[in-house]
Amino acid sequence: MDREIRIKAEPIDTERCRFVVSEPLLEGGARRFASAEEAKGSPLAEALFGIAGVSEVVVSGGTITVAKDTPTPWQATGKQVGAAIRAAFAAGGPLIAEAAAVSSEDDERLYGRVADLFEAEINPAVARHGGTVELIDVQDAMVLLRMGGGCQGCGMADVTLRQGIEVLLKKRLPEIRGLIDVTDHSAGSNPYVTASKK
Amino acid sequence: MADPASRPRLLLLLPSTTYRATAFVEAAHRLDLDLTVATDHANVFASREPDRLLTIDLAHQERAVREVRAFARQHPVAAVVGVDDDTAVIAAAIAEELGLRHNPLAAARAARDKHRQRVLHAERGVRVPESALHEVGEPPEAVARDAPYPCVLKPLCLSASRGVIRADTPEQFVAAHAALARILAAPDVAALGTAARRYLVERFVPGPEVALEGLLVGGRLQVLALFDKPDPLDGPTFEETIYVTPSRLPWAVQRAVGECAARAAEALGLVTGPIHAELRVGDGGPWLIEIAARPIGGRCSRVLRFGEGPDAISLEELLLRQAAGLSIETCQREAQPVGVMMLPTPRAGRLLGVSGADAALGVPGVEGIEMTVYPGQRLVPLPAASRYLGFIFARAETPASVEAALRRAHACLTFDIEPE
Repeated sequence: MDREIRIKAEPIDTERCRFVVSEPLLEGGARRFASAEEAKGSPLAEALFGIAGVSEVVVSGGTITVAKDTPTPWQATGKQVGAAIRAAFAAGGPLIAEAAAVSSEDDERLYGRVADLFEAEINPAVARHGGTVELIDVQDAMVLLRMGGGCQGCGMADVTLRQGIEVLLKKRLPEIRGLIDVTDHSAGSNPYVTASKK
Repeated sequence: MADPASRPRLLLLLPSTTYRATAFVEAAHRLDLDLTVATDHANVFASREPDRLLTIDLAHQERAVREVRAFARQHPVAAVVGVDDDTAVIAAAIAEELGLRHNPLAAARAARDKHRQRVLHAERGVRVPESALHEVGEPPEAVARDAPYPCVLKPLCLSASRGVIRADTPEQFVAAHAALARILAAPDVAALGTAARRYLVERFVPGPEVALEGLLVGGRLQVLALFDKPDPLDGPTFEETIYVTPSRLPWAVQRAVGECAARAAEALGLVTGPIHAELRVGDGGPWLIEIAARPIGGRCSRVLRFGEGPDAISLEELLLRQAAGLSIETCQREAQPVGVMMLPTPRAGRLLGVSGADAALGVPGVEGIEMTVYPGQRLVPLPAASRYLGFIFARAETPASVEAALRRAHACLTFDIEPE
């Protein structure tokens, strides 16, 4: 590939950073890797687990969320992540292996129940503020989602996510371990509320 | 996750337009606190999760206190935290009503009132610029005659340099007054009531400006970070841009700045929680420009980490730990020099797009860029500016290299703004 790969790093906190890549990494769905063992067979995920401290990788569309358990600043780790992404593209072939996309029976069952809640309760609620929430996948009981419309880039998106959606899902489905938001919030063009000084 | 019934409930007051929501909510999530977010605009899940999402009137303190008192009867609250100037006062009022540990309400109110704090500081020997309170309806020519030049016109109710204008002559004063009157007449400002009709005229203090981030513990100030502001803030408007810590001022000056901030907090009666103070280092030592009972604004806190290694925590986590009565291992900031640049609005118009972010991110030392405006948004420069374009974050080996990285990254960015 001779196209320029542009990568935007958006640190969420010391542990997690979202990388928005100009080329799709995984089309259709998402994949979460919680260990180097799980990453085997997926060249990009394997490369990322080769970086010291990387503990989780979530790939969805053109977004990759990397978690680490070392104090190394994202300034340093991010450059390694960027190099790994570019190297994986340069090598050609699929970045995430087909075989890696197999879900467990528990996740399949959870996916259906979460999807029902998204359709019946979550999306009708966020639609009132012009928002949408797309269920990307359920992996190891972690719900991967993407926000859109009024939720994308909204100053209160995290409140909706943690205090609304996550609480609702865990009440109804206690086996859910958590939520991972793979939204590129910086690309939101019509957020419901934006921050301002007073 | 622990049983919610066994955890203390923390009430977080978040204005819907705050920059701070994600930082505070994620910190509460990491601490596994039983969190209720109270905001001024009903969340879409508020009716489904009434113990997690509360809608209160943040514009009217007494009403907000009544609403929280009713909520607390069913959902006992153990701590209340505000995140900005206004919610710091409401949090103190709620705490007083519910008998929770917090700053005294009178102290929180004094910190919110630029005039009241000037009076209290002057009475108690804190070095503050000479100032006088005026109504915007007074004839500006009359006020201009007696102003101490060079002077600064400063609205009582606004933050982040909004509406703050320097005047060196009576003619400049009258022009500055006209600009300030327009800002104070804007609907979002006029809604703030009496304070929106008042302003201070105070003597301009020359010299470098610093920002002190601190935490009051039992009335004692712990300095969390002292930021240099390397861009001169000489007016006529006072655009906040680059903050770098640790400070490059001589250690004795830094200590004097810390002592001045501590005396300023004590003079107002503040005893607990965050303070953010702006000081000028002029002839004879530091001058207090302002002190607020809140943490640093915007997204600036992202560069602050306390402790070293994997146990280092964010500023918000530190503040929530203190409020919830959890242990705090250290208030010592990590050793690495860090900095943030608040992106100034270059001109008025409608934002069409921003380019150069990739190049800016490629500048050694730059850790991240967050844009907080979106294409299509209307931009207004100071003195009326009500939002930041975004933020650049950097960390490097020295404060000088942090500053250089921020400047290089900013130079990479191009803002395509369509004039209106």
